[in-house]
Order: sequence, then structure tokens, then C-alpha cells
Amino acid sequence: MFARLLSGTTSRAVLTAALLALPLAGAAQARSLEEAKASGTVRIGIQADNCPWGCLGSTGQAQGIDAEIGRALAAHLGVEAEFVPMAVANRIPALTADKVDVLIASLGITAERAQSVQFSQPYAENELFVTAVKSQALPDLAALSDKAVGVPRSTPMDTILTAQAPTDATLQRFDDDASTIQALLSGQVDAVGANQFYIQRLETARPGEFENKFPIGALYQGIGTRLGEADWNNAVNTFLDDHLSSDEFKAAYSEWLQIDVPDLPESIDSVSFTVAQQ
Amino acid sequence: MAVQLDFGVVLERWPELVRGTAATIGLALAGMALALVIGIAGVAVLRGKNRIGHAVVRAFVEVIRNTPFLVQIFFIFFALPLAGVRLNPTVTAIVALGLNGGAYAIEIIRGGVEAIPTGQTEAGLALGLRPSEVFRFIILKPALRSIYPSLVSQFIMLTLTTSIATSISAYELTSVAQRIDGDTFRTFEVYFTITVIYLLVSWGMMAMFAAVSRRAFAYPTR
Amino acid sequence: MIGPQELAFLGRGLMWTLALTAIGFTGGIVFGFLVALARVSPLKWLRWIAAGWIAVFQGTPLLMQLFVVYFGLPLLGFSPPAWGAVAVALTAHASAFLGEIWRGAIQAVPGGQTEAAHALGLGYRARMRDVILPQALRLSLPATIGFLVQLLKGTSLAAIVGFIELTRAGQIVSNQTFKPLLVFGLIGLIYFLLCWPLSRLGRRMELRLAAATAR
Repeated sequence: MFARLLSGTTSRAVLTAALLALPLAGAAQARSLEEAKASGTVRIGIQADNCPWGCLGSTGQAQGIDAEIGRALAAHLGVEAEFVPMAVANRIPALTADKVDVLIASLGITAERAQSVQFSQPYAENELFVTAVKSQALPDLAALSDKAVGVPRSTPMDTILTAQAPTDATLQRFDDDASTIQALLSGQVDAVGANQFYIQRLETARPGEFENKFPIGALYQGIGTRLGEADWNNAVNTFLDDHLSSDEFKAAYSEWLQIDVPDLPESIDSVSFTVAQQ
Repeated sequence: MAVQLDFGVVLERWPELVRGTAATIGLALAGMALALVIGIAGVAVLRGKNRIGHAVVRAFVEVIRNTPFLVQIFFIFFALPLAGVRLNPTVTAIVALGLNGGAYAIEIIRGGVEAIPTGQTEAGLALGLRPSEVFRFIILKPALRSIYPSLVSQFIMLTLTTSIATSISAYELTSVAQRIDGDTFRTFEVYFTITVIYLLVSWGMMAMFAAVSRRAFAYPTR
Repeated sequence: MIGPQELAFLGRGLMWTLALTAIGFTGGIVFGFLVALARVSPLKWLRWIAAGWIAVFQGTPLLMQLFVVYFGLPLLGFSPPAWGAVAVALTAHASAFLGEIWRGAIQAVPGGQTEAAHALGLGYRARMRDVILPQALRLSLPATIGFLVQLLKGTSLAAIVGFIELTRAGQIVSNQTFKPLLVFGLIGLIYFLLCWPLSRLGRRMELRLAAATAR
């Protein structure tokens, strides 16, 4: 069926029409804020193995700055926090498929993701680097020529390096940060597209061997909710308005991220932090 | 809020899907070739007199057959470099597929070989064939003919198993799917499409094996 | 280092691996039985549906089956927890494979027996229940146990959708301790200790069956 469809002279428009933009009968009505409050829990998507952002401790409880924010959000809403561990690749699908109510999963705000997710205002900053062993000379992007570079799939590190690395650099895309770091440690890649915390984790594993070579950008994390759902978006923005200036947040930020809360931008690219009023 | 399905954004990436499918087929064929070599070599060792060889092959078969492929491929990719063996993702995938398929192939081929009546071997030796010739013409070919169906279904499994290679960053159809998903977030549509492609690939493989069987294993008619 | 905390975490992953296997196998037995019966049914359309079901699950990667069910169920208005989606996928997967194994076993019961049962005036139900199925069950046991081993190993793919069973737990511990050789070796050993006795049991049954049917 697929091959026949492709061999035809079909344009995208015809394909789309033929392959049904089909409204499924009885399709899911995603859970509203009211329903969540009534149930007594808010389902929060968090990363399972990406501390200091979010991770599960060895006893299974959620940890990291994302977990702290999640618990504070639940307290603000007057419900229990139910943390749902996410892999990088299924964070956004899990949100749109109503498996969670909100994502606090180190989700960097980007224009592409904003097509699928409603972001809140940012709550944290994440600087991105190319990271490699100290003995390797890597002054800039051009030096990545002919190198194997690991990135976590579909993250901004992937997007940035896909667009900017020399064409003869081999990008190896892994499922998550952890596999990417492991690949660098195993010597499977020469360098990685890293966020600001890779170096901490590399230091723990092999002190003194790795360093950040050069920056490739910065990301700001927001809380993700479903597109068009003003109730959830309003609730998280209202919560952040208060919480970001609280001592509790500042303490958690410096505890987990080892730095003071930076200045967070009022706007990013063309991403709106609020649901457009209709 | 009704869910809208949109396959257009997935299908318009067809050049990547075609390349990914080709890579998947390439991994599968290379894996099968290696599995067949390991299978035949393993059986040759099992039929030989070397005790240590027996023990090594038996242990290999049991370990591979009783652990998940995902753990095996992680081990080769992430752990073996610490022991000085570093293979790139594509080679890792082929080696892992070959080792895994090879363990099953040893069992399958051994079963076929053991089913050959000993009288047949003796007849071959009596006719003055050398032991290696007996193995090739009297044991291996009839055995391959009888085990062919099991071997084919094992190879189809191997083809489907290539999808796991994405977890070590190898390039194949599932990794292409994950990229398209990362760009479009049309997760269900992406994986549904890919599933259909896998189905076509495995059906195509079956048709190919059936054609091979008609040519290679036909008994002489005269 | 790998201390008691890490071991406890792996232990919880192991529990999930066992639970997923148990759910998938139990569900697979129930639905696989129906698939097998449909596959040998006198009704042509029923045979076709069962054959199609088997062809789809045997012709696509288990990983894709997990993805499609995991992301597809919510589109149909269901939103099970992750383990529920994985369990549904494993059950459907197992029903196709077990259905095919049992179809083979049912058809391996010599045809003369069906005729004899007919001659004795037994109806479909009595024929199946009292004559065919008990023999088919015995014939199919080695392959059924072989599939149980496949299923147990297959639960490791739930790791790729982010579900924390034994393999995913191993990945997490490996990334915290940076000892992949040790951790993946340990994980492999645990799977081996679970699967190997089952594999041996299956092989012993197969040999006994072969000895019993040899003349």
C-alpha cells in the first residue's frame, strides 16, 4: 500500500487528503485542571535519569530541580504530585496523549517545540556546549570536521549541531543525555553536544579528563502544557509568577544547579508563553 | 478536542524513509550472513572432537539465547570499549545481530545435521569421499534443505530485531522514524507508517527466501 | 559503586520485568487460545482474520508494536498507565505467537482422531475438549515454554519507551555509577538465571516428547 502511494504522482496536499485528516470518533478529551483538582493529583512528566534536572533516586522518588518545582506546583494547586518518569523522546507525545497533565522535564523552549506544546514562562537556564577530552584540540565548530559527535536525539544540541557542524562530521544520535554521556566515556564518540551539566557528570565519572570546548547556545526551560488549554497554562504561569521570586525556589536552584538564579528572558524567539485569547 | 491524524507530514519525508529502509535491509542481510557463518562454524566445532571447543560453543549458545538482545547490544557498544574493543554503531549492530542470529542458527543447523541418518555418512565415506566432502555434500546440503524453514523464520526475526539498533545510534529505519517524530511530533502516524514498512520488508524477505529455496534446493529431476 | 540502594533499584526493575512477563503470558494464553481456535475454525472468514492477526505481529518488530500501542491507545480514548500500555502490547504480541504455536499443535494431532471422534458422534466442543486439545497441549508445551523465554527477554524493550523494568533500571544505574561493564554484565546474568532453567525445561520436554513419539 505504502509503495503504491509513493510511486504515484501524489503531491503532499493530495496525500494528506487521501490519508485522512481523520477525526476519530470518541477521541480522548484531555484532562482539565478542574478534573485534576477533583482527582486530588496532578500528573507531572519528569525525566527519569537526568539529574540535576529531574531523576529518580535509587529509592525511586523524584529528585532534581524539576521535582522541586513539581512539588511546589502541586502544593500551589492543593493536590498531590504524581511523577511520571519520561524518556526524552516520549515527553511531548506523552503530554499530547494525555498521559500527563504538565511536563516539567527539562524541556527547553524552542520555536519548533512550541508548535506542539504550550510553554510557560521560563524557570531555568541551560547553556549548551561542545564537550570533549582535554587533550583534543577543538576550538570551534569547524574543528568538528571528520569527528564523531554524540547528541541526544531531537534536542536543541541535535538541532544546533545538525545545522551548524561541518558536513563531514558524523552526528550520532542517542536516546537521551545518559546514553550520550556514556558514549563519550566509552570513547564511542570524539565529542558531544552537551548542556551545562554534562561536565559535572563527566567529572564524577573521570575527574579532570573532560572540558567544555566552546558554547553553542543557551536554552531556557519552561513548563509544558497542551496547546490551547488556557486553564493549565494560566495555572502554571500564575504559580511561576510567585514561585520564581521565592526563597524556596532560589534555595532549590542553587542546591541542584550549583548557581544562582540567572536573569530569565521576558521573551524567546517568537514563542508565546500564554495561550492566545480568542 | 478530536484527534486529527495527519500522515502527509510523515510521507513527505519519503526519501529518508527509503534510505532508512535500505539501511535496515543492509543491516539485516549482513547480520544474516554473519549468523550463517557462525552457525555453520559452530556446528562444525560441535561435530569435531575438541572438548574445549564444545564447551565454548555450548556456553555461547546458552548465554545468547537466554539474554535479551538489547542487553547484548548495550554490552558490546558501551561496555566492550572499556575492555579495548571499540566498534562503530553500524558494525556493532551487525556483530550483535550476527552473534544473536548465529546462536539460534547453531541450534537449528545442529538439529538438521543430527537428523541425517548415520548410514548416509558411512555410505559417503565408503564411496571414497573425504570427511570434509561428506560434511559438505552429504550432511550440509540435505540438512540445510530440511532446516530451511526454521532458518528463514529466524532470519525474519533477525530483520525485525534490527529496529533495536537505534538505541546505540545506528542508522536504520527506526532511527529515521525517531528523527521524523522529533521534527513533527506526529508520533502515532510515524510509528504506524514504519510498522507498515517493516511488514512489507519482512514479507519481501519471505518472498525472496522462497525464491532462493526453489532454486537452491531443487532435487535433480533426472 | 553498586551498593544496596542500587541493588534494591534493580530489584524493583526485576519485579516489573516479572510482572510484565506474567501479564503478557497470561493474557497471551487466553487470547492466543482464541486465535488458535479461530485459525483452525471451519469458518473461512474467521481463519482469515486469525491468519492476518498472526501475520502482522510476526512480521513487525515488537518495538514498533509497543510504540504503536503506547501512542495509539490514547488516540482511541484510552489512557492507561505506561505499564498498562506495555501489557496490552505484550498480550497482543503473545496471542499471535502462541496462537500460531497452538494451531501447529492442533493440526499435528493425527487427522484419524478427528474422524474417529466424528464416528463416535462427538460434536465440535467435545471433540476439541476431550480429544484434540489435550494432545495438542502436550505437543505444544516445549514451544510454548520457548516463547515464554522470548517474551521475558522481549519485556526489555519496554525500556525504550522509558518504562523502568530491569534493563532500564540497569541503564540508569550504569549512568549513575559509570560501570557499564559490571552493570550490564549483572543485568545479563539476571536474565540468564531467569531464562536458562526455562530453556532447559523446554528442551527436556522436547526430548521426552520425541522419545515418546519415536517408534
